[in-house]
Amino acid sequence: MNLIKIKRQSWNIGIVIIALGLGTWQINRLPVFGSYEVRTILLGILPIALLSMGQAIIIIGGGINLAIGAEAVLINCLAARFMANKSFGVAIVLTLALLFVSVCVGALTGLIISRSKIADIIVTLATSFILIGFAMYIQPSPGGGMNLTLAHLISGKGSAFLPPLIVLILPLLIIWIPLYRSRMGIAMFAIGSNKDAAFLSGVNVDLTRIKLYATGGLFAGISGIVLTAITLSGSPFASISNTATLNSVAGAVLGGVALSGGVGGLTGPALAALILYFIPTILLNYGIDPAYSQIITGALTIVVVLAGGLIRNRGKKK
Amino acid sequence: MSQQALLKISNLAKSYGSVVALRNANFSISPGEIHALLGANGAGKSTLVKILTGVISGDQGLIELNGREVAFSSPDNARKNGIAPVFQDPALIPDISIQRNLYLTDTDKDRFLFEISAMGLSVDLNQLASDIELPILRMIDLARALAHDPELLILDEITAALPIDMAEKVISIMGAHKARGKSVIFISHRLAEIEEICDRATVLRDGTNVDTFDATQGSEARIVAAMLGDKNVLATHSTKQKNKIATDDFMRVESLSGGKQLKDVSFTIKRGEVLGVAALEGQGQDLLFEILAGASKPTGGKLFVNGEEVTFHHPSDAISYGISYVPGDRKTALMPQRSIRENLALTRYRGMRRWGKINFGEEELKVDGAVQSLEIDTRAKSQVKRLSGGNQQKVTIGRWVTTGFDLLLCFDPTRGIDVGTKAQIYDLIRTFSDQGKSVLLFTSELREIQLSCDRAIVLYEGKVQANLPFEKCDEVSLLSAAHGIVSK
Repeated sequence: MNLIKIKRQSWNIGIVIIALGLGTWQINRLPVFGSYEVRTILLGILPIALLSMGQAIIIIGGGINLAIGAEAVLINCLAARFMANKSFGVAIVLTLALLFVSVCVGALTGLIISRSKIADIIVTLATSFILIGFAMYIQPSPGGGMNLTLAHLISGKGSAFLPPLIVLILPLLIIWIPLYRSRMGIAMFAIGSNKDAAFLSGVNVDLTRIKLYATGGLFAGISGIVLTAITLSGSPFASISNTATLNSVAGAVLGGVALSGGVGGLTGPALAALILYFIPTILLNYGIDPAYSQIITGALTIVVVLAGGLIRNRGKKK
Repeated sequence: MSQQALLKISNLAKSYGSVVALRNANFSISPGEIHALLGANGAGKSTLVKILTGVISGDQGLIELNGREVAFSSPDNARKNGIAPVFQDPALIPDISIQRNLYLTDTDKDRFLFEISAMGLSVDLNQLASDIELPILRMIDLARALAHDPELLILDEITAALPIDMAEKVISIMGAHKARGKSVIFISHRLAEIEEICDRATVLRDGTNVDTFDATQGSEARIVAAMLGDKNVLATHSTKQKNKIATDDFMRVESLSGGKQLKDVSFTIKRGEVLGVAALEGQGQDLLFEILAGASKPTGGKLFVNGEEVTFHHPSDAISYGISYVPGDRKTALMPQRSIRENLALTRYRGMRRWGKINFGEEELKVDGAVQSLEIDTRAKSQVKRLSGGNQQKVTIGRWVTTGFDLLLCFDPTRGIDVGTKAQIYDLIRTFSDQGKSVLLFTSELREIQLSCDRAIVLYEGKVQANLPFEKCDEVSLLSAAHGIVSK
């Protein structure tokens, strides 16, 4: 039984080893390494880690959300537009309101997909354009701001690395673990693994999908708020949302989520964000154009998918 | 029966577009009754079961449970009303553990474990369902249904792919369920099982119930007649004809081994010979067929085709030697979304040059010929996935008819197929043999060996346990050899 558990964790262990290796490499190149640098790294990975987690939930459930980056950008623009020059109390209320909006956007996406029976990839590709359109309408050019007290509460200040660490870990504790242990969590794995069998087992497939997209939306919302807190502005650019979406898929896959659904967790994707962060920064240190890092990220994703497939196939045969 | 029926259905109908799946179905089940539901493939059994279990809803008709009208909105809803199904494909989620699968259906863990141990099995609840063998998975699915202590248990061809010992267990479980005053709907193509355990049988044909009668000994003929209607073909009638086997070997297998599953297997197949393979589940027959088809590599031994030693790296190598494989799982062989024609013609494109043009006229002719000779029901010809199981099986065999072959490897071709279609498949196999082509036939129904084979080998624990001439291919000899009993 313990062996089974270790086997299931082996992917996460592998991710930690790669991340630690890359991390040591990067840290050794830094003149100093202290809590300030830790905070920098955390801020670098936080938005993508959160998006990867949201994407992971949807992929485990057998879907994929190409609008997840756009959801985050929309929340980012809404936050920057309406939270600028507001008091702390108002900003908190607005944050909660925006998270609610992001849940609704996700739920609506899920509703369209399950009602229309159109493929996830088509619906979310379309909604990504719509959401970016809204974002550009709300915040036509980069700008806006956020209450500084709230921003520091989320992203920390100076060498205070605890706030971003808490923002990274808290969703795992208060969203993922209860979800994993709930009936909805089992339903998520079930519909991702075999939708027909899930239906025969009594799972409400449509409702589960809507809930998963809503949860994914919540993660995108948190990511959007965090992005605002870090940059203190909103940027309505499609390029940002596209890169973020692709990174979220890469993060989920690197984190051990099977694109075919039904397999994976959220710890892996959260850790995989470290890898996605270290590759471009290390290249930058060596004076290589960070644009090349996309080649490495892409190649790594393919290698990981291949390796994962091989490992699973070997497991199946014996 | 004067007693109030547990379940009564009247005038139930269901259509998919222009295809009528269920026309007018009526029957009733009393408490404590085991009721067999019979019918040729495509007669509407599956549709009826799906309606009764809340998977789909009927277009019209009435379902009464204990005299109260009901309509099940979902499988969950049906289960809460005391109807628990076990489908042919186990409804367990592959990527999650058995424990979480139980949780998904609100199954009590202790009751499940009690049922499992009553079956003489033991299950590690932390195992993933995908790591468990299919027959065991099916028993787990049954134990899960029993744990709900349903008023009505629906078993849809559960014994079709079970080894004999487990199938017997299922029969005794049904008896125990009945003894507690609960009912069972039992769907099976094994008529012997039906005579053994069922109280009554209802036969469906073309979506309508045509006959209901007491399932006593000797009702086999009546069942078959009702199923087939005017088509007077009896699968119980041997289609065996005179041996016209040439003396030269087509294929010789020498000391073939494959890992732990196959050990030192040797046999020969002559031209025009139908060689049967009998074995219980998991005795290495799967691997043997895969090796012969070039889909797996042996770890030892030699293969000879026409006296020449061969090595297969890929199924196309085997095909080029005239060896064609009809897998047991129809889903792996077919392109479900494509038409019958494309599925039949697929293997014809093998010899084509890269940019060669497909001669659609010629293709249509050949395919039409195959469709006719196989009597494939073409009502749903645009997508193979909409065909019934038996018709799908005919398409997988028919594809090789259009291409031609010297040796056909048939893995359990009649699994889950009605007697009428079975007879057609035996006929087809005999026709191949008359044309001088060889067939290697594995079947999980031992009776079929005598109906269609010239000779049989029996595998047990990866070894050839017995090599039986036609006269010795009776069920008793096959069965004892399949259980590892050395016969004299």
